[in-house]
Amino acid sequence: MSSGISLALTLLFLTLIKSVPIVYAALGGVISERSGVVNIGLEGMMTAGAFSAVVFTNMTGSPIIGLLAGIFFGAFLGFILGFAATFFKVDQIVAGVGINLVALGGAAYGLVLIFNQPGASPQVNQLGSGGVPFLPQVTTGEAAFIVLAVLCAFGLNWFIYRTPWGLRIQACGENPRAVTDAGLDPLRLRLYSVIVSGALAGLGGAFLSICEVNLYSDGMTAGRGFIALAAVIFGRWTPWGATGAAVFFGFFEALQYVLQGRISWLPSDAMQALPYLAALFAIAGLVGRVRAPAADGVPY
Amino acid sequence: MRVVLRLLAGPAGALLLAFVLAALAMLIAGVNPVDGFYWLLRGSLGGRRPIAETLVQTTALLFPALGVSLAFRAGLFNIGAEGQLLMGGLLAGAVGAHFAGPQWMTVFVLLLLGMVGGGIWGGIAGWLRARFNASEIISTLMLNFVALSLTGYLVAGPLKSPLASGAETAPLLPNNWLPAFPTIFGISFGDTRLTISILIAIATALVIRFVFTRTVFGYELRAAGEAPEAARRSGINMPRMTLIALTLSGAVAGLGGAAIVTGVLHRFNTSLSPGYGYTAIAVALVGDLNPLWVCVAAFGFGILEAGGLMMQANAGVPKDAIRVIEGLIILVLAARRYFASRATAPI
Repeated sequence: MSSGISLALTLLFLTLIKSVPIVYAALGGVISERSGVVNIGLEGMMTAGAFSAVVFTNMTGSPIIGLLAGIFFGAFLGFILGFAATFFKVDQIVAGVGINLVALGGAAYGLVLIFNQPGASPQVNQLGSGGVPFLPQVTTGEAAFIVLAVLCAFGLNWFIYRTPWGLRIQACGENPRAVTDAGLDPLRLRLYSVIVSGALAGLGGAFLSICEVNLYSDGMTAGRGFIALAAVIFGRWTPWGATGAAVFFGFFEALQYVLQGRISWLPSDAMQALPYLAALFAIAGLVGRVRAPAADGVPY
Repeated sequence: MRVVLRLLAGPAGALLLAFVLAALAMLIAGVNPVDGFYWLLRGSLGGRRPIAETLVQTTALLFPALGVSLAFRAGLFNIGAEGQLLMGGLLAGAVGAHFAGPQWMTVFVLLLLGMVGGGIWGGIAGWLRARFNASEIISTLMLNFVALSLTGYLVAGPLKSPLASGAETAPLLPNNWLPAFPTIFGISFGDTRLTISILIAIATALVIRFVFTRTVFGYELRAAGEAPEAARRSGINMPRMTLIALTLSGAVAGLGGAAIVTGVLHRFNTSLSPGYGYTAIAVALVGDLNPLWVCVAAFGFGILEAGGLMMQANAGVPKDAIRVIEGLIILVLAARRYFASRATAPI
């Protein structure tokens, strides 16, 4: 009986931990798409965040500086995508695919250049590796990231629906011309939104590399940026919806770990496909009415 | 600025750009670019074997790139070539391990199965778009991961070869292998990985070009991509066109998967592609979505892929620099592509 309870607790905390990076990236996806820019590059931005966090932690010994670097480099890729999507009016999808290739290749390239070892970086100082009182399953760093994720979801929800800037960003995604007519520059608002989007994705990536573990390895984001994209759709472009969807996807990832070796008839590969299948159902509108911002993905 | 970009965006400019970026990447790695290029070219064009390997890489990129450009021409973003390659390869590999017959027939059937596998995968996205107006961008992307999970499950479970240690299907019967590239000018390629699949790929490019330029269907396809509203008003059944275009696009990519299985790997496993389906997007864009230029672009990228290993081994430039260069080429080329109109779907 007590082992059942501890198993459930493990599953609960593992779900929270596995959800964290997806939540950040999904919130980033929400703000970017609400402003009218589809961010296929979330995966690359997470990679940039994860890799640069390790590099700067290694250089300075301080995981806090690593964390800031992760946010910065995620935001930098956001800037590139945002600038390309607004002022160059490039196709957002193509640009996003390009960002992903650059980031994934760049991190692999950087591993060799900086650490002289392909595949994975050396170990660095971990962010908040101490235990939380009464909760042996989570570290203080993980707990802080979980709390911050909830605050971010609250904050973004408040920002989008309750502040003038948030409403203007929403308008950019629905009808950028109206924003121009109101005397504002929708391109600039979109650019800012994608930068914030990249910063959030970078934060999620940094969590993976310097908080959950203490190194960067090739392919460590493992499609979480794309899952986050699915969470945005599943959550119908709302901060809380996307957060919920991200936790839903995180739950399946956690379930895999918990069930590993316990249940043989349910292959883990099948469970890995679940988030993507859910996303397919979501975009087909089978899970209820789904409507993207009207100008999402449309260059202005 | 725009004039410069437009110059750079042509196929020739793209190759030049690739060289400049590659030189930069080498300088960052502390390598003399002359040295780096020497090994890059020696590893890709310096002899019979390197050339054969370059053509193998060219072929692997050409099929998915042709598929991607076919969909792009119809105004549809197929970024699911990776999954379509896998599904095509899976079907060919699963059947090819057990199916025997005259070589020309089995090979033909296996390639056809590859088209069926990729076509189904592209068709699902096409159906979702046609029936529910679901963005093909997201659906093809998600289907990549579903394909990876599905094939991963099958080769680790039901289709796993009892003799293999790793997760892969049983090897293809040797009779089901694609024939080696024919001997030309007394030069034989029997000891390389080069097969007639390069010829099949070029033939596919010619067929697609013929369809684009000489058939009513090709005209309708391009009309759907370039002027969707006009196409709709002139009576073209757009949902049907979407379904057909994405199915065909997937079929061409799936043919590539079958070509890799029957020509190179001789079995199916999930490491069939190191991201050919994503690089194919760059190849299609560099080739200006024109089947003949796509062939040239695929050759250019084939040089990078094949020469990269030699460059890594002898000049010390990490092969991953090639990925970065490919990504940067996509970004720069995208700056021009906004002219290409496309149907605006809800994402």
